[in-house]
Parts: sequence; structure tokens; C-alpha cells
Amino acid sequence: MIGTLALATIVACGVLAAFGLSLTAAGRVPGRELRIAAWAVVALLAVQAAIAAVRAFGVTLPEQSTFLIYLVVSVCVLPIAVQFAFADPSRWGGAVIAVGAVATLVAVLRMQGLWAAGA
Amino acid sequence: MREPRDHREARPTSTGAGRVLVAVYGIFALSATARAGVQIATKFSLAPLAYLLSALAGVVYILATVGLASTRPWSRPLAWTAVAFELAGVLVVGTLTVLDTGDFPDDTVWSVYGRGYGFIPLVLPLVGLWWLRRTGRTGSTGGTGGAGPHPAR
Repeated sequence: MIGTLALATIVACGVLAAFGLSLTAAGRVPGRELRIAAWAVVALLAVQAAIAAVRAFGVTLPEQSTFLIYLVVSVCVLPIAVQFAFADPSRWGGAVIAVGAVATLVAVLRMQGLWAAGA
Repeated sequence: MREPRDHREARPTSTGAGRVLVAVYGIFALSATARAGVQIATKFSLAPLAYLLSALAGVVYILATVGLASTRPWSRPLAWTAVAFELAGVLVVGTLTVLDTGDFPDDTVWSVYGRGYGFIPLVLPLVGLWWLRRTGRTGSTGGTGGAGPHPAR
């Protein structure tokens, strides 16, 4: 995978999680800012997934299917979390997105691990 | 009597903080099921028991997620059953894997009380049971509300 892009997505997920949690801690209902931040992270993840998917066919990874599942998960979890969080606006919406961001972060880290093992 | 109306009857489990719980359950449903699917599809013969257990855990997480997220008459019993089963599962499998790793050569979600997942599998059912109890009907089931005010816990 691409080191800098992976690092950027990991940092972005971490920042998004912190942002969401801070809204919940402050008792604020998430608004436009969090939605935009979440979709910006999704865009970054989509770019990474597209590049990684193309490259994954050129190499032999130890667990190719697992890698591809993580790839799909890394892109799909946050949009679902955003929909779920905003469907019932409350202070907990930020925490819901934080859960999605942390799960995405773990998926990206696992992808990194599998990629490093294969390269 | 002076209590807000919504404290007398069961509250939906998927509102407020419950949405965070549903989100975590959803993530575990996804990861446990996907993991079991890959394990069974690619290397089932290596550790059939562990992989079947992974699949069972995935199904339990799916049922718990559905039970907690929906508001049908069957939702709450389903959630209770699934979350209680999950707690039993993580305790039994966790204990077995601590005592003897022989039967579980490959990790499952519940191995060593969910160590591979930051022990969240151990904490999650406890939080789930607490939330179900907290949001649950304050009187006994089938009661007509004659039990009187009862502080929500």
C-alpha cells in the first residue's frame, strides 16, 4: 500500500473520532461540520481503496480475500455510521460516528499489516 | 406519577446512547461474520471447531444488533436472548481458551475473553444487558401500570 496515504487515512480517522467524541462530551447534536468531516474522510478512504485494489491484483498477499474484505469495510462503515447517526439526532450522534471511525481505523491498520507481510 | 410518561413503559433500545451500542454491535456483527466466512471458505479443515464458533458468534452478534436496533414486539426478547448467549459464550470460550489452547488452535472473537478485540467482547454483553434492563418496562411484563412509579435505573 502507499505509506503516506495510509498514514493520512489513519490520522484522519483518529481526528474524526476525537471530533465526534468531543461533540458528545459537550452535549452537542452533530451538525454540518461533522457530516462534512466524515465525508472528507470517506473520500480519502475511497482514493486509498481504489489504489490499493488495483495494486492488490499485482502482488500475492498472504490473505488476499481478507485484505479485500478489509478494503470494502474501510470504505463502507463510515457512510453507514453517518446515516445511522443523523437519522436520530441527539448528542450521541458524534459517538456513533466515532465508533465508525475507530472501526475504520482498525481496518486500515489490519490492511497495512497484511500488505507489509506480503510485500 | 410525576414521572415523565416515557419512564413507565419500555423505551426503544436504539435511541440516545443506545445508538452507540447498536453501532458497536453492528461493527462486531460485520467483523465476526466476515472473519468466520473467510476462515470457513479458505481453511476450514485447519480448525473446524474454532471456525464454526466464529460463525456462531457472528450470528449471535447479528441477532443482538437486530434486536437492539428494531422496535418490534420480538425485538426485546431477541436482544435479551442474544446478549445473554453472547455473555455465556465469551465466558465459556474465554475460560476454555485460558485453560487449554488445544481445542482452539486458531483465534475466535471470544478467545481469551476477546483479547484480540481489546476485550470489548467481554464488556459489550454487560453493557448490553444493563441497557436492556435500563430501557425495559419498569413494571412486570403484562402489568397494567398499577405497579406505581419506579425509578428508572
